[in-house]
Amino acid sequence: MFKKLLFATTASPVCDNAAKVAFDLEMKWEAKLLILHVLGLPGRGFNLQFTDVRTGEREDPSQDYVEWVKEELNNTYGKLLEDSNASIVTAVGEPHREVLRLARKENVDMILMGAHSREEEVGATKHRSIAGSTMRKVAKAARCAVVIVNRPCTTCWKLFSNIVVGIDFSKASESAFLWAYKLAHEVGAKLHIFHAIDITAGGLTLPAGQTTIEQRIKEARKRIEQHMVPRLKGYDKYSIEVWEGIPYVEILKFARDRQGDLIVMAHHTREVEPEEAELGSTVEQVVLRSSCPVASVNHPDKVADLM
Amino acid sequence: MPEGILCNKNKVTTLEHLQALLADKSGKQYYQEMNNLDVDAKALWDLVQKTCKSRIRTWLEICTHCGLCADSCFYYLANHKDPQQVPSYKIQSTLGQIIRRKGQVDNAFMQMAMDTAFCKCTCCTRCGVYCPLGIDTGVMFSYLRGLLFSQGFTPWEMKIGTGMHRVYRAQMDVTTEDWVDTCSWMAEENADDWPGLEIPVDKENADILYTVNAREPKHYPEDIAQAAILFHVAGENWTVPSEGWEETSLAMFAGDWEACKLQVESVYAAMDRLKPKRMVVTECGHAYRATVIEGPYWAGLKTGKTPIESLHYVEWVAEALRAGKLKIDPAKKIKEPVTYQDSCNYIRNGGLWEAARYIMSQIAEDFREMTPSREHNFCCGGGGGLNGIGRYREQRNVGLRVKRDQILATGAKLVVAPCHNCWDAIRDLEEVYEIGIRWSFLKPLLINMIEVPEHLKPAE
Repeated sequence: MFKKLLFATTASPVCDNAAKVAFDLEMKWEAKLLILHVLGLPGRGFNLQFTDVRTGEREDPSQDYVEWVKEELNNTYGKLLEDSNASIVTAVGEPHREVLRLARKENVDMILMGAHSREEEVGATKHRSIAGSTMRKVAKAARCAVVIVNRPCTTCWKLFSNIVVGIDFSKASESAFLWAYKLAHEVGAKLHIFHAIDITAGGLTLPAGQTTIEQRIKEARKRIEQHMVPRLKGYDKYSIEVWEGIPYVEILKFARDRQGDLIVMAHHTREVEPEEAELGSTVEQVVLRSSCPVASVNHPDKVADLM
Repeated sequence: MPEGILCNKNKVTTLEHLQALLADKSGKQYYQEMNNLDVDAKALWDLVQKTCKSRIRTWLEICTHCGLCADSCFYYLANHKDPQQVPSYKIQSTLGQIIRRKGQVDNAFMQMAMDTAFCKCTCCTRCGVYCPLGIDTGVMFSYLRGLLFSQGFTPWEMKIGTGMHRVYRAQMDVTTEDWVDTCSWMAEENADDWPGLEIPVDKENADILYTVNAREPKHYPEDIAQAAILFHVAGENWTVPSEGWEETSLAMFAGDWEACKLQVESVYAAMDRLKPKRMVVTECGHAYRATVIEGPYWAGLKTGKTPIESLHYVEWVAEALRAGKLKIDPAKKIKEPVTYQDSCNYIRNGGLWEAARYIMSQIAEDFREMTPSREHNFCCGGGGGLNGIGRYREQRNVGLRVKRDQILATGAKLVVAPCHNCWDAIRDLEEVYEIGIRWSFLKPLLINMIEVPEHLKPAE
């Protein structure tokens, strides 16, 4: 399932937990691991200089400099690199763009990242005067799964027993569902299919009455049984759950309740205008609060065989 | 005569040469070698005699040193009215001296002339508008840069930039394959949100041939996607060329006349090959000047015009809004105070201020003009290639103060800057002076406020 992995890192502690998962996956799946470090934001005009992401200094992308950064990365991931055949790649540009560029070029099966919070990205955000994090932009556009690891993940992926997939019946969430099933099937984990009825309805109207909510829960459950369960092709390690509330809160509560090893969900592209998304999209909220890794899958490319 | 390994009179024609220059951190070795570079006075004087025609000779001759150009120069204003920043003084003490001394100048003089030509003048040509005799100092500085370049006196980044044009036919290292692939990447990335979106490459007989700035495929490919979305919504029959897509010309800033010609010829060749009806240039000012205004002369076209009609992006937007091809949702117009940065190249020199005003009247509820504006507007502070030259960063930042004060006086927090250079300078201005502004090209603003016909919306 994972032949080629891309671990995008700022080489700062925020990426440490993701690093451990990336190197572990490389070993367990005998995959090719690419480590991408974006050196810095593009220079002024046509100038080739850039602002180093770590030091804030102006630098030239000379061979010496690149070698020095690679050496630093080797030191940062020294122990982890001992049993690894990973290749280190560097680039100059806007981080999300360079991550997507390499992922597409190498046709990777998964992108792994740390949870970069917006505060750490002031430079990148201001640079193009666009709100929103690297994580959000990568998750939206990547053709493969984007896994964000925010807290230590000690369970080996091959030993996963509970995979939670949050669905909203959109086309993107169909891809997320199939990807979660594929992984659950491969490692023999139980697949928890979860849907949350959003009672805030965009935050503009009053919550629906109890009868309406219960009716909608019933309908959603039926929809899952009729349309999604048959896609599991007889795989019987699954459960269905529909709750009501605020989607990101409910999925976190549910994952905690089921001791989820991984949350899989689609990134909701149109739910909030980036300019207004001060709190971020559901996927961002889940990522920042989840105690397990979160996989965002939005495109069918890597589950084409199941479509 | 001592010629450096990196700093010399040779043109950059190979990738190896380019890489050697790039490997020299911040041009350290390059500028050291420049200190020992000999001036070939005979070659310099020969070139002057061959290329300095009556117009420039007359201008230098008739300048009465009246000083009316002084207050028109933003450098003069930003530097506390330093007499050495008066345009007529700057050109007389450099180009004027070369001619009076019949090319008998030394290394120190050439370096002083280079510094003057690049960090005391952005070739914005504002002083030309105010000279009672119509003397255009900006044009003369462009010419001086050519003389300096012929002797190897050009900033390190300029030598690289013009080398890029010679090697890649683009200002950055973007190959034909990179470019074509970026187009399909962007079409693919936006396919879900914009069903049917295409970026047609090398389509013949299209209505519009679209050309860009190499920074877009290199760093900001979403700009290409945004252009595609707007053409798509407007229902245009358009294409991009696989070769001849780069509209900019660092060669023009550097004064590498030969490379200027090579670059525009690649664009004109695409016009010949694909037979489009018109060309539209991305939101870039100097690209418009290079390919649409100056280019025909470099390429020796007798008409003085591009082979097909050519429009700056603002002209296309204004036309699409007037024709109703793009419709603005009134509820989504910009509500906050917003101002517009008039680029020297397509506004003052290209005369397109009305198109820009029409666009602003359609998209903004509280549009505030800078003072002065239109053809009288000040340079953003980063024109003429200055944004990219490390050697002159400090002088550039001083110059930015004039634009900073102009923006502050409008009270607007959003600056629309449909020019890569202005966009960069204003971004840097915010970084240096932190006045709390945002800046934007037109494309992302338009995408957020156009009415999208039902049949172009995604099914979901």
